[in-house]
This record gives sequence, C-alpha cells and structure tokens, in this order.
Amino acid sequence: MRIVVGLVCIVTLCGCQREERQLRLDPPAAAALDKIALMPNKIGGAPPQIYFALDQPYETNAYDLSQGKRLYTWFGCAACHGDGQGGIGPSFLDGWWAYGPETVSIFASIRDGRPHGMPAFKGKMTTEQIWQLAGYVQTIGAYSARTAAPSRNDDKQTRPAENRAPAAILFDEGPTPVHPDQGPTP
Amino acid sequence: MTDTIRRAQILDTELKRPELTSQLEETWKTERGLWGALSTVDHKIIGRRYITTAFVFLLLGGVLAMLIRLQLAGPEGRLIGPDRYNQIFTMHGANMMFLFAVPVMEAMGVYLVPLMVGTRNIAFPRLNAFSYWMFLAGGLVLWISFALDMGPDVGWFAYVPLSGPQYAPGKRADIWAQMITFTEVAALAVAVEIVVTVFKQRAPGMSLDRIPLFVWAMLVTSFVVIMAMPAIMVASTSLILDRLVGTHFFNPAEGGDVLLWQHLFWFFGHPEVYIIFIPAVGMVSTLVATFSRRPVFGYLPLVVALIGTGILAFGLWVHHMFTTGLPRLGESFFTASSMAIAIPSGVQIFCWIATLWEGRPVFKTPLLFVIGFIVTFVIGGLTGVMVASVPFDTQVHDTYFVVAHFHYVLIGGAVFPLLGAVYYWFPKFTGRMMSERLGRWAFWLIFTGFHATFFPMHILGLEGMPRRVYTYQPDLPWHGLNLFASASAIILAAGFFVFFIDVVMSARSGNPAGDNPWDAPTLEWATSSPPPAYNFAQIPVVSSANPLWEQPGALNVANGLHTDRREVVVTTITTAEPQARESSPQNCIWPLWTAIATSVMLVWSIFSPWAVVWGSIPIAITLIGWFWPKGTPEDEA
Repeated sequence: MRIVVGLVCIVTLCGCQREERQLRLDPPAAAALDKIALMPNKIGGAPPQIYFALDQPYETNAYDLSQGKRLYTWFGCAACHGDGQGGIGPSFLDGWWAYGPETVSIFASIRDGRPHGMPAFKGKMTTEQIWQLAGYVQTIGAYSARTAAPSRNDDKQTRPAENRAPAAILFDEGPTPVHPDQGPTP
Repeated sequence: MTDTIRRAQILDTELKRPELTSQLEETWKTERGLWGALSTVDHKIIGRRYITTAFVFLLLGGVLAMLIRLQLAGPEGRLIGPDRYNQIFTMHGANMMFLFAVPVMEAMGVYLVPLMVGTRNIAFPRLNAFSYWMFLAGGLVLWISFALDMGPDVGWFAYVPLSGPQYAPGKRADIWAQMITFTEVAALAVAVEIVVTVFKQRAPGMSLDRIPLFVWAMLVTSFVVIMAMPAIMVASTSLILDRLVGTHFFNPAEGGDVLLWQHLFWFFGHPEVYIIFIPAVGMVSTLVATFSRRPVFGYLPLVVALIGTGILAFGLWVHHMFTTGLPRLGESFFTASSMAIAIPSGVQIFCWIATLWEGRPVFKTPLLFVIGFIVTFVIGGLTGVMVASVPFDTQVHDTYFVVAHFHYVLIGGAVFPLLGAVYYWFPKFTGRMMSERLGRWAFWLIFTGFHATFFPMHILGLEGMPRRVYTYQPDLPWHGLNLFASASAIILAAGFFVFFIDVVMSARSGNPAGDNPWDAPTLEWATSSPPPAYNFAQIPVVSSANPLWEQPGALNVANGLHTDRREVVVTTITTAEPQARESSPQNCIWPLWTAIATSVMLVWSIFSPWAVVWGSIPIAITLIGWFWPKGTPEDEA
C-alpha cells in the first residue's frame, strides 16, 4: 500500500509539471526569466535561477512546447529554417547546433539575434514566448523522443514529428563522428 | 489427462433438501477474504460491485456538475479558470456517459439477467470478472489523470482537429481515447455474456414470448453494444495513432478526413444513447407491471418497439452533424429517421399508460420514479423532434437548448428509471427494504430540482447561450436564468444526497425484505433475498410470462444437475427446451492478472507504440494462465 501511495505521489509530481497550462505568467517571473547570464562571447550561458525553480518548464511542459510550435509558424521561422531542415538559415534537424544545444543558447539566439542574418526578436515577442519557442526549437533537433514534444501538424508531411525524434533519423554525422559523451545531450 | 480430472458424481436428485443446499453452497461459494474477493466470478458479487462503482462515478460526476453550475451562477465567474473548466465539462460528460450510464445499465443486467432467466451464473463468468476490472481501471485512469491536471479537455466527443495532434498538446486527449478503450472492452465483454445467457441459459420453458421485458431490453442493448462499440474503438485508436505515430486518418492534407471522426464517433454515439435508454425502458416495463398489479399491456408491441429502437438507433447518427454542411438528401433522410424514433417510443409510452390505466396502481417510490420518467422523457422527446428538423437544429446547435434536451432524455429517460429500479431491486440486492419516506423525499427533490435546473436551459439556448463557455459577460441577458438554474441544482443535489443516505442507511439497517416484497411476477423473486451463491436450489421450469403470478406458492422445477461441480442448464434458443448440462467455471484470479496486464499495455501505449509489442507478452502469459486446464470437474464440459 505504501508503495502504491508513493508511486501515486511520484506520478503526481511528474504529471503536474508536464501538463500544467500556465495561461498567464506573472510579470515578475517573466522579468526574472529574461535575466540569463550569458558568457562574454554571447554563445552560451546559464538560465536564471527562477528557470530551475519552475523546473525547466519550457523543455518539459507539453503545453509550452506546443505553444512554441505555433509561434514557430506565426513568427515566420519557416521562412529561413523551413520545416526544421533549414533553407537560408541553418537546419535544426541535422543535430548540429552552431551555438550549442542548450535551451539558453537558443533563447539568446532568438532574443538577441545572431550574425549572418538571424534577427533579434526582443521587443517583438514576450520573454515567455521566446522561451516557449526556444524549447520547441530544441525538440526539433532532439536525438531521443520526448513524450511531451508536439506531434505532427495537419499539413503535408515532410519529416517525422517532433515526438518521433526526427533528428535521430535524419542526423548527419559529417566526416568526423560525434561523441555524445562530450557535453550535454540536446 | 483424463485421470487427472476429478469427475462430478453426485446428482441433485439423490439429495434431500438441506443436503442439497449445503452442497450447492460449497460448490458455488466465494471464499471469504481478499483472495476470494479478487478471484470471485459470482455474477451477483461482480454486478453489485459494478453498480456501486458506477454510482461512485455518478457522485463524482455530480460534484463536477455542481462546480459547473457554481461557476456559471453569475457573469464573469472566477471560481474556475478556462483550462480547468474545459477539463471539468469534458470529465463530466465522459464520466457520466462512459463510467456511469453505460456501465450501470450493463451492471444491472449482470446482476439481474441470470436471476430473471433462472440460471446459476452468467455465461463466461471469468470474462465478467475481467470486464469489471477493466472498467475500474478505465475509471481510475481518467480520474487519476484529472487529479494530475492531465484530464481530457476536448469535450466528451473529442472532435478532431481540436483533439488531434496539432491542437491538443500533451496526453490529455490520449487519456480520453484510451479510457474509451477500457470501458468499451468492458462493455463488449458484458454484452457477449448477456447475449449468450439470454439465448442459451434460460430456464426450461421460458420460450421467447415468456422472457421478462427487462431481459429483452438487455438482449437488444447487448446487440447494439456489439455493433456500435467497435466504431468508437476504431475512432479512438486512429486518434491515438494520429497523435503518437503520426498517421493521417484525420489529416486532410495527406488524404485523411476530419469529418470521418464525426461519422465514426456518432455511429457509436447515437446508439450509445439507446444503450443507456433501452435497459431503462426495460426497467420501466417491469416496474409498471408489478405496481399496476397486472401483466404489462402489449407485451408483443413492447418487444417489437425495443427491437425497433435498437435497429433505428443505427440510422440517425448524422443528426448530430447537421451543421457540418451535408447534402440535402442526407439531411432529409436523417431528419425523417430521427423523427421515426418517436414511433417506437410512443408505442411504449402508450402501452405503459394503458397498463397503469387498466391496473390498480400502487404508488410506491419506484412507481413515482416511473411517473417522473414518463413526464420528463416526453418533454425530452418533444425537444428531440424539434432538433431533428434541420432549420431548427441549425439555430440551436451547440447552445444550451441542446444541453437541456439531452439532460431531459438522459436523466429523464435513464436516471429516473434507474433510481426507480434501485428502489425496486434493492431488497433483492441486500435483503433489506429502502425507506419509503426518504424515497419520496428523494423523488420530489430530484424531480423538482431537475426540472427547475434544466428547463431554463431551453430558454437560455434560445437566447443564444453557447454550451461549454466557462463564463459570460454581464451585459448578456443570461444572468437571471443561470442563477435560477444554479440555485435549483442545489435542490437536485439535495435529492441525490437523500437518495445516497437512504441507500447507505437501508443497506445497514433497513427492514428485512423477504423473498418477494413487491409480490412481483418474475423469477428473480423466486429465490431468497439476497440470493444464495447458486441462485436457485433447483432450476425453475416456466410455463408463462409471469411465473410467480400464474403459479403462486410453488414453481415446477427441473432436476438432474450435478451438485459437486458448477453446472448450468443449456436450453434451445426459441422454445427453451433443455439441451445439455454445461459446466460453469470456478473462481479464478487470472481475469484480474489479465486485466492488470491489459491496463499496463493500454496506458503505456499512450506514451510509446512499442507498448503494444512488449505489453502483449504479459497479456499472452496471463491469458494462458486463464485458459490452462485446472484439473477440476468443470474442465469437462
């Protein structure tokens, strides 16, 4: 009986986070989420403390991920990045991350822009939206399927859906094989 | 192999009465304790459990309904946010339809059909146990996920594309779809058992024209279940496949079809209404006859009306889809067929009125609920004919008018008869009478509370209030009626509260009932209350439709069954002539293991398609255990 209760508690903890839908983020929380600590070269960094206090919602919460997917369409990401396979901009599906695979790097890329054409979306999107989009973009290039990741759209199918880990299928290792033991897995 | 099987040797003709009952008790008993409770295959224990569980779900669904009414009592309600509200109305609908209404009707059949046809257990008793465990698991899945903020939020009919992969993130819609699978497996299992019980296990002499009307109703319902449920299982499985592995059943861009969902769903969903309604009219026919003190008027038309309703049920599903833009001919056809359902319903209503008219009605609580049913259901039927017409339906589609209509037909058409049936059969279930005084309180509170709650919703609908809104603005003219409905809902809830109080108190300390407290005519009253594990010490032989009225005092009985193994009489389909002695399985724990293995597979398959592959291995193992010969006399058929 104690085991059952324990299991239920564990499931409760996981479940709550994964499916919760925060329709309005508290303004102080949003302001705090904007304060990432970037390294001087602006490539990577650390998310603010609150990001961990909230239990990294933008990587694990199904609703936030799916909002990210809608933002990907609404803000025209596909114009350069296509369905994730790239175009004018780099591909996400090939598993290569020019600025590292951490969500905070992707957040910085979207918020502040990058050289060679990536515009800054600061002022065009709210902090929460940028986090949602960053979390979603990360799932496009994920090597292992995440149950919280969005599924396919009601469109023509051009690649397997995010919850099928398309990057694992389409991953191009290039001439030198990668070492997954080096650095965090995206 | 043959020498390992213990053979049955003792025939009931060789035994005197006390020896006979003690030996039958030994053969058919359910062991005390947890193991006995988990492994029982007694249809009465499982039926009682099924009914109790379904009423617990009714209570939970009722709490959700009260939350909805509280939220809508005034404009700009702040009690529940939109996201929780979506989950709550979805849970309310799905819970009431799939975890209360259908299971409770089937459960009444599980308990009563074997008794009413005079046999010792339901056909496929282990499947019956499996069915209950599956139902319970499905209910737990739904409610635990609701507690985890993972409750489905896509409406009880989960229309794509809003429930599809693009618009319903997370696993909420999958929980809904898989809960369907659980409950449908359970319902299909019971349906098969009831069909076989009714066709092959009726007491000798119970030819087709002597079957009690409730049994006829359960038979028709079971066939409707068998034909309707596969459609929804196909639909919900396709939905999970679309969402999990990216198939394109409902994706128009890849050649799928959004409307296909609605067709598949309503091809099940409309018969579903009759799966709930037909057993209820069977109950009404039974209650009306008993409390009018005469055989029911128009047995044959009533049976034909039941079958007619069952057949028509499959010809009108499109009337739920009138606003999707259908061809004119299709609209006309389904308007006509929808209105045609009023014919068998009308025939039944007039037969009941004629029975009451010609009889000497005794207005006990069960009959009060029947009267409440007739009044409420006729109003619901009238609005049903209204919404069957396309121009009218286009106006009120997805408004509170429809909400009012289906609560009138579902609560009026099924819950009222069910409550009457509980008052009627409670003495048989427990051996104790329910309180007549509390029963009248419960009836009048529920009746007035119901009408005061739901009648204003017709007007709200005509005033344009859409269903499923979590709140509304103060400048809309809906405030007064909503407040009135919410206040009346408290009366309705109070009525149910009195009913549940009555059930609990009567089960503990009601007056002892005796075998046949209502002086009813059907076979379930020929045995003690509650019935012994073997139901009947000797199998009754029937020579009329109302055996206990035609042969008061003593029934003819059939002998020649073994008492040292579980044995039932198999009879022919039409005339119920005895054909064979068939063994009936002993208590068995494997149905529980199989249900657990199946539940694990089904829940796991929400998260990974590989669950179907790896999860089927434990299921296969448990099924092998289930069917492995046990070396008991029952192995020999």
